[in-house]
This record gives sequence, structure tokens and C-alpha cells, in this order.
Amino acid sequence: MQEVSFEVHPGEIVGLLGPNGAGKTTTLRMLAGLLAPTAGEAFINQHSVQKEPQLARRALGFLTGDMDLYRRLTPVELLAYFGQLYEVPQPELRRRIDELVEAFGIGEFKDKHCEKLSTGQKQRVSIARTLVHDPAVVVLDEPTTGLDIMASEFILQFIRRMAKENGKAVIFSTHHLDEVERLCDRVVIIHKGRLQHHGDIDSALAATNQTRLADAFFEMVR
Amino acid sequence: MRTSIINTIFRKEILEVLRDKRTLYLVILLPFFLYPALFFLIGKVGQSQAGKMQQEKVTVLIDPALEQTPVPALIGSDPSFVIKVQAFDSQALAEEKTTIGIRVDGDYAAGLAANELVILRIAGDFSKDLLDGRKQSITGLLNKLNQSLLEERLQGVKLPPTFAQPLLIQEEDLAKPSQHIGKVLGTYAPMLLMLFIFTGCIYIAIDITAGEKERRTLQTLFTTPVNVREIIAGKFLAVACVGLASALMNLFSLVFAVLLQAKIMGGNVSAISLAISAQGWVWMITLIVLSTVFLAALSMAVSLLANSYKESQSYVSPLMMLVLIPAVMAQMPGMELTMTTALVPVLNICLAIGAIFKGAFSLSAMGLVVFFALLYGLLALYLASLIFGNENVVTGEKVSWKLLKG
Repeated sequence: MQEVSFEVHPGEIVGLLGPNGAGKTTTLRMLAGLLAPTAGEAFINQHSVQKEPQLARRALGFLTGDMDLYRRLTPVELLAYFGQLYEVPQPELRRRIDELVEAFGIGEFKDKHCEKLSTGQKQRVSIARTLVHDPAVVVLDEPTTGLDIMASEFILQFIRRMAKENGKAVIFSTHHLDEVERLCDRVVIIHKGRLQHHGDIDSALAATNQTRLADAFFEMVR
Repeated sequence: MRTSIINTIFRKEILEVLRDKRTLYLVILLPFFLYPALFFLIGKVGQSQAGKMQQEKVTVLIDPALEQTPVPALIGSDPSFVIKVQAFDSQALAEEKTTIGIRVDGDYAAGLAANELVILRIAGDFSKDLLDGRKQSITGLLNKLNQSLLEERLQGVKLPPTFAQPLLIQEEDLAKPSQHIGKVLGTYAPMLLMLFIFTGCIYIAIDITAGEKERRTLQTLFTTPVNVREIIAGKFLAVACVGLASALMNLFSLVFAVLLQAKIMGGNVSAISLAISAQGWVWMITLIVLSTVFLAALSMAVSLLANSYKESQSYVSPLMMLVLIPAVMAQMPGMELTMTTALVPVLNICLAIGAIFKGAFSLSAMGLVVFFALLYGLLALYLASLIFGNENVVTGEKVSWKLLKG
């Protein structure tokens, strides 16, 4: 990655776009502190990921396609486990788990082991896991991949509410540009490890003289 | 390091192990039932085979030159033999499965009358268990005949029976039965213990390292505000606990199986005792815990190098060799705990445990072994933490040795 710089504000949904191998996952991994940048710095909720990794991670909810659920735990056990790792106080954790179980409709399968859940159910639990500590910043990489239209819509509506009603800063990485058009306030386009565009969708269209985001995207990464 | 976080990770790992039927079966239940079942089966089959061999009739062809001697009647006194007086050909006899031949070199009666050496030959295919066993019975009977003939000869020249036996060697064993048991256990138990601890540790270590990588759950853990040392500590405790439980389960199962077998064979089980002092038990438990620490950390470090369960299984055999070779070396005659052997991992613990069983250990030697065992355990843990801290472990790629050094 070279000279990639962008920021996301509370209540904002920013789409991170780029073809395969552009560096999206690497960027997100650096934000989560999984990879150390050779130069530069990343901040989560004003905490340096490199210098204050624990504080930065405490403010971050992170979900990528490379993450799966513990197969032999139930959704509730899984949420409790991660809540304890984030050191959420017990009474608050119980209340938070109840809220997430309700919000994601997990109640009907909360006592099943995660290995027995459908893809859509697993994804709902994964996102609930990402939010169990009520982070200020949420990174979601391809959260609707493999889901049917109903499950995808449920997730997208939840992401919108999360940002607009709860004021979370959301980085949303996807290959579905229609989802980006519906959901994102701004887009960050990366190609070959470099920043191609950073701004709202209209500015991307204007910069490329296109009328659809998909065409603007192809123009930028050609 | 936060103990509450370590405890959370440890409890979650144990919960997953307890819910994994395959691991539970392999590490806990199988050892518990394996040895008693195996020993019982072997004992029963062995007894039944021995009984069959005892009942089976064997034909003894006695050369006609021995017909007028006491040999046919003597051998025939054993009902498991069928006596036939007839000449036999060695080549043809080699093809027989239930026939033995006895012949004499020269003239039996003339040889004895002249006080000469008379050679009797027992022939047969003694690679067969049945014939080999019966050869020993025939030899026993003929030895009795030999003894009575010797006495007759000595009487003939008016000499006492002791004339031909100037010395009678008798052994007085001053060791207690518990010392004999200690010697046997001191030789074999340390190796078995190392093997049990290792097998107990390795499968759970693979499951919670390479297995987690493969199941894509490790990365999630690294995005939480938990540091690498806390993750390692939680996982390590789980591996060590399961390893220790598995080793103890194996050991109790083995002891139970041996006692069961001894009882089946008609032995006096209540006479079996050990003479280990309270101090010896303290050293023994310390050494078992330390060897578990070492093997658990080593198993974790090695299995972290793999990206999948299958790949990590290919590391099991070489690692097992590394553990077994020093453990087997500890069984060799003359191998003792010295300043040099106390430095060699696994070998030092095996020799120290062996010395405790035998009741011959010194405080200084034990202290030295404990020190080095602790040192190796900590080094193995440090290696595991180095590998765990590797960026490539987090992202599920091959571990980079370059990053490891850095």
C-alpha cells in the first residue's frame, strides 16, 4: 500500500472499493492491527493502532470473510466469550447480548451450535459478535457474500441503522456496487495499492463523466 | 497479563474440547478403555492358545536302536506324546508339523556299560511353537534319566552323588518386592509417561492452533484487545491440562490393566507395592508437570507452523521421534542421571523419574533436572510466543522465518 489516506466520521458509511488484489483486505488488516505498516499510521477513535493497539481494538468491530465462528459454541456462548475478551462488565454484557439476540433474530437458534447454522444465520451471529462491545467504528468486509436477497437486505438495513441511528463510523467493503450506491455516504477506491478516489459518489461520477457508479469504478481501475 | 482474560480463553478452549467427540474419544476415553480391553483380550487369547497347545498330541518317533532302553517308556509317561518306534529321515521330519524324532549316536547300552558319553539327538522343526515347547518337555524328561544314570555310575565306583557337583550356587535376593517393581517401573514407566503426555498434548495443540487457522477463527481473536501472551497463556493452559489428564488417564488405565492381567494369570495382586517416599512423590509430580509444560509448549509451537489439521499431522511423527529417542535412551542399561544427562531434554526427566521409582535419587540431581526442565519449558513457551506473534500466523499464511527472527 502506498499513500492511502482517508477518514470516516461518526454516523458515516464509507464504501471501500477495489478489484481483487487492489489492497482492500491489507488496508483493513492494518486498521485492525493484524498487519503492521512499514510506514504511516492508522487511528481508530483517535487511538493509534500501532502505539495503542488495545485501545484502538477496543473501539473497533471487525468482520471480514476470513473470519468464521467457533463451531462448537452456541451463538449466545460466542457473544459472551467475545464480550468477556472486550471486558464488557457482566450486567452490561447480559443486556447487550439480549439486545443483539433480539435485533438479529438470533433467538430461534441461540442454543444451536454454530456449526449447525445456515450461512445467513452465521452471518447474523458474526455481525452481532462484531458489535457485542458496542464499538465506535465498525469494519465490514463483504458482509452479504453468499447470502440470499432477504438475508442481504436485513444486513444492509441493520448497517444503515447502526450508522444513522447509533452514530457508528462504518467502513463497508464490497464488490456489490448497487449496495454501495444505496448505503454509502462516501467511497474510497483503491487500485494496485494506491488511492484512486476519495469522496462522495457524485464526485466519483463527475471525475469520470459517468452516470453510474459501476462505470465510474471501471474507468478508475482500468 | 490479565488473569481474567487468560481464564476466559482457557475455559472456552476446554469447553470446545469437551464438546468435540473426536478429541474426547481419542485423548480421554480411548486410553481409558484401551489397555484393559487390550490386556484382557491378549490374556484370554494367550490362555486359549496355550490350552490348545497343551492338548495337542505330538508324535515322537524313537529310533529302533533305543527300543530296548528306558527312553520310550520315559517319554511315553507324558500323555501328550504318542510314541512310535521307527527309523526316520531328517529331511522328511523337517516337513512334519507335529512330529519329533529321537535317535542315538552309536550303541546306547554298550556306551553306558563302558562309561562313555552317549549322545541322544532330538530332531524336529523347532521354529514351530508347538514342537519347540515339546522339545523342552522331552529334554526335561531325558535330564532326569541322565541324573539317575550319573548316580548309578557314581554308586558303581562308590562315590557320593555330590562328587560330580562340587559347588551348588544359591542366590539370596536381599531386595524387597517393591524394589523389583520399582526397577521395572523405573525403566519403562518414564517412556510411557512421556509418550502419553505427548499424545495428549499434540492433538489438542493441533486443534487449537492449526485447526483454528483452518477453521478461520484465529484471526477474530487477534482483532480483540487481547495481547498475544494472554492468548498463548490461555491456549497453553488448555493444552497442558488436557495433556496431563490424558497422561494420567493412560497411566491409571495401564496400571489397572496390568493388575487385571496379573489377577487373571493367578498372581498375588495385593503383594504388589511401591516404595516411593512422600518427597519422591513431590519430585515426581513436579517432574510430570514440568514435562507437560515442555511438551505442551513444544506441540503448540510446532503445530502453529502448519496451516491445516492435515499439514500439522505430518509434523507429529518427527516430533514424536524427538521425544521418544531420548525416552528410549533412558531405558538403556548403565544410563544414569549425571551432570551431562541432566542437560538433555526429556532424557533428564525420564532418568529422574526412573531414579524416583528405584528409590535412588539425590536432592542435587533432582534440583538440577527441575531447573533445566523448567528452563526448556520456558524456552518452548518463548518459541511458541514468537511463532504466535508472527504476522503470517494471524493472517493464516505460511510462517515467515524472516519475520520470526525480526
